[in-house]
Amino acid sequence: MIYLLEDTINGILMGSIYGLTALGLTVIFGVLKVINFAHGSLLMVAMYVTYWTVQMSGIHPYLSLVVVVPVMFVFGYYLQDIVIKPIFKAEKEVREPITVIIVTTGVWYILDNLTLLIFGPQYRNLQDNALRGKMFVLGDMLISVPKFWGFVTALVTAGLLYWFLQRTRIGRAIRATSLDREASSLMGISPYKVYNLAFGIGTATAGVAAVTLIPFYNVFPTVGVLFDIKGFIIVVLGGLGSIGGALLGGIIIGLIESVGPQFMAATWTEAIVYALFLVFLFLKPSGLFGVKYDW
Amino acid sequence: MNILEIRGLHKDFGGLRALNDLSLTIEPGQIFGLIGPNGAGKSTAFNCIAGVYAPSGGEIYFNGVRINGERPWNLCKRGLARTFQIVKPFATKSVLYNVMVGAFARTNSRSEAERKALEVLEYLHFEKHRNSRAGNLTIADRKRLEIARALATEPQLLLLDEVMAGLRPSEVDEMVGVIQQLRGRGITIFVIEHIMRAIMALSDHVVVLHFGQKIAEGAPHQVASDERVIKAYLGDEYVISAG
Amino acid sequence: MTRRSINQSACLLVAVLALGLPLVMRSATYLHILILLYFYAYLTTSWNLVGGFAGVLPLGHAAFVGIGAYTSTILYLQYGVSPWLGMLVGGILATLVGILIGLPTFKMRGAYFALATIAFAEGIRVMIENIDRLGPFVINGPRGLQIPPLKLGLSNFMFAVKEPYYYIILIMLAAVLLLTYCISRSKLGYYLNAGGEEPEAAMALGVNVARAKLIAMAMSSFLTALAGTFYAQFTLYIHPKSVVSLDLSFEIAFIALIGGRGSIAGPVLGALLLRPVSDFSRIYFGDTVPGLHLIIFGVVLILVMLYQPRGLQEPLTRLYNRLVDRLAGTEGGEASA
Repeated sequence: MIYLLEDTINGILMGSIYGLTALGLTVIFGVLKVINFAHGSLLMVAMYVTYWTVQMSGIHPYLSLVVVVPVMFVFGYYLQDIVIKPIFKAEKEVREPITVIIVTTGVWYILDNLTLLIFGPQYRNLQDNALRGKMFVLGDMLISVPKFWGFVTALVTAGLLYWFLQRTRIGRAIRATSLDREASSLMGISPYKVYNLAFGIGTATAGVAAVTLIPFYNVFPTVGVLFDIKGFIIVVLGGLGSIGGALLGGIIIGLIESVGPQFMAATWTEAIVYALFLVFLFLKPSGLFGVKYDW
Repeated sequence: MNILEIRGLHKDFGGLRALNDLSLTIEPGQIFGLIGPNGAGKSTAFNCIAGVYAPSGGEIYFNGVRINGERPWNLCKRGLARTFQIVKPFATKSVLYNVMVGAFARTNSRSEAERKALEVLEYLHFEKHRNSRAGNLTIADRKRLEIARALATEPQLLLLDEVMAGLRPSEVDEMVGVIQQLRGRGITIFVIEHIMRAIMALSDHVVVLHFGQKIAEGAPHQVASDERVIKAYLGDEYVISAG
Repeated sequence: MTRRSINQSACLLVAVLALGLPLVMRSATYLHILILLYFYAYLTTSWNLVGGFAGVLPLGHAAFVGIGAYTSTILYLQYGVSPWLGMLVGGILATLVGILIGLPTFKMRGAYFALATIAFAEGIRVMIENIDRLGPFVINGPRGLQIPPLKLGLSNFMFAVKEPYYYIILIMLAAVLLLTYCISRSKLGYYLNAGGEEPEAAMALGVNVARAKLIAMAMSSFLTALAGTFYAQFTLYIHPKSVVSLDLSFEIAFIALIGGRGSIAGPVLGALLLRPVSDFSRIYFGDTVPGLHLIIFGVVLILVMLYQPRGLQEPLTRLYNRLVDRLAGTEGGEASA
């Protein structure tokens, strides 16, 4: 019984970090109506940035946020501005720019394989950081410290993002653009600028997620793929475009992964996640908090 | 029998009632006009009839058959066709290809569809554009393509959604001619229009919508002199010029 | 010469070349590369039925390759069923799976379909990698399945030399190209194109868009699974990383997109241009720069999408037509139509 509670708590903690990794995916989809298939690769890049920042300076992993978040914002901003925007412009008339999805898969392949080229296939991790292997002892339960801080960070990030989109002028412009591509020009802002911003913000949240992962997770060139696929499932469960949905979707997956092994072989839990995804696709394709799209 | 009969049609979006208790009757062979200021609910009414939206309440009968919530492609097979206010050509394809898609609604044979499509293009004096890429057409020609495609599905009732918006005066006159010609072919026409001059010249019967509600109905000249109609239009950007 | 006769002789030339190549090409390595090139051209043409004509983006076609490969191999190894029959069973199984994925997603935005296919393919890979036995069927997890080359012959789809494989995949490719040509000129082809480009307008014109896409998906899944069986018989060894990998799914999509999706020639051109890149970079740089061909694919993909969004077939077709025009003009004197 106590194990079940422990697994539940750890599942929620890890799940909220999954949600955090998917947050950028849902923000970018909400505004651009495009699935950014390179999101996992951007997370991977952010993890390498975090890894090297902490490795070389020896600071507390969470302090690297001040480096990672701006770097990733700029990276995402210009990735959209230079690579993706021209395609949006060329396909202005098209209802759903599939070509943009394709280009993001191209970015995925380039980033993953360039990283492989530069850093090699080996797994890296921060051996002695302030958080690694630390546990809270709660009665008979052991709760992972780095995951706990990841959980807190996920909630704060989601809250900040929500506040930013609801309350600030730029946030409102972003939301207006998500409803209607032309709306932002009425507010005196170019829609492409809004796309750049949304892409930058989405990539910056991947940076936050990378910082929470680094204290206890390995870095390698294809680490993004794991989170990519999980991210896709999470945003469909939660509803594409919904911030709360991404967190909730992440927690559902975290719970299945951590509580599942109590009842079945661990390998089956992964199959359960995919099965749940399919069930959702059939019964509630718009997800828990999603908007039901017309054609 | 009436070709289209609507009784107490409602449509809500969230808490907003876009269409409130609309009733109207269209007889075969009529040109029936639906007018009203921007946001009056005209397009919503069309989308309910054409199966894009399921109505929140009320009844829609097409040739005596209830068609509430029937899907668009089935309505097309029943003989109800429409055009779109914002034209939606298959832009990378030729004009002929576009019209053939419509013609396939009544045949499975490619040669038969091609023959029918060419016939429609000729009928609309459009055959010289048959090999043009639809995305390269002018606005006026795109509107004409919308009609050609719809016509190729052999409709009994044709819903025209602002086919004259954005056209030059000479082009409007041409379009009025086309629509009258269609009626001559035995097709009943239900038209939404902003351009008063055109709709007054065309319609046998007009319904005026304002804030989702029917505020007047009758022959064009009656409606044009109705006080509520004038009030609804005043302050709006559209000015009545009795054509 | 007229345009028509030039086109006919060009087709004849390609046919003679394709049929005669194994007679002059003695290197088994090059024949192997060619067979894989046709294999990819076949896969991509099958993908194109749904990814090109229906205007959606399937990113998990490796799942169908895997279903085909595993079905026929398991049936052969455990029950002695001829791979030809197993091929058919795999195809039918893949069709059902394809419909299962398409049914809920074709009613949604295209992004959902792309996500569903990718997640489904990964789900199948994870399952195969983690399962040794599924009921009575031995799957062997990550170790994969080996087909002992004991009973050679056409009925067992197993040969000691590469030539028979060459002709089998050539016939498969020709057949799927012919099918694509017929579909593109049929009502279904028109409906798929229309629904892919402007679903709302297509529906108003009597097109049940979701149903048309579902039919395309069913055909595409079926045909893709057949290639899975071919691959299993050709290499006599399958494992999850070879036949159900994400990389395979993406390579199929990339070839189609770079070549030109929605056209008949695009997938074949794409395979002709990209497969050699992939093979030779693996042969020469496989050890030093392992992901080189994938970087090249990514860069080419982005450049093509930026400057030739209809794929490379468009400028190449234009070039070919100009060539034909010139030939027709100078030699026959007949005005080009």
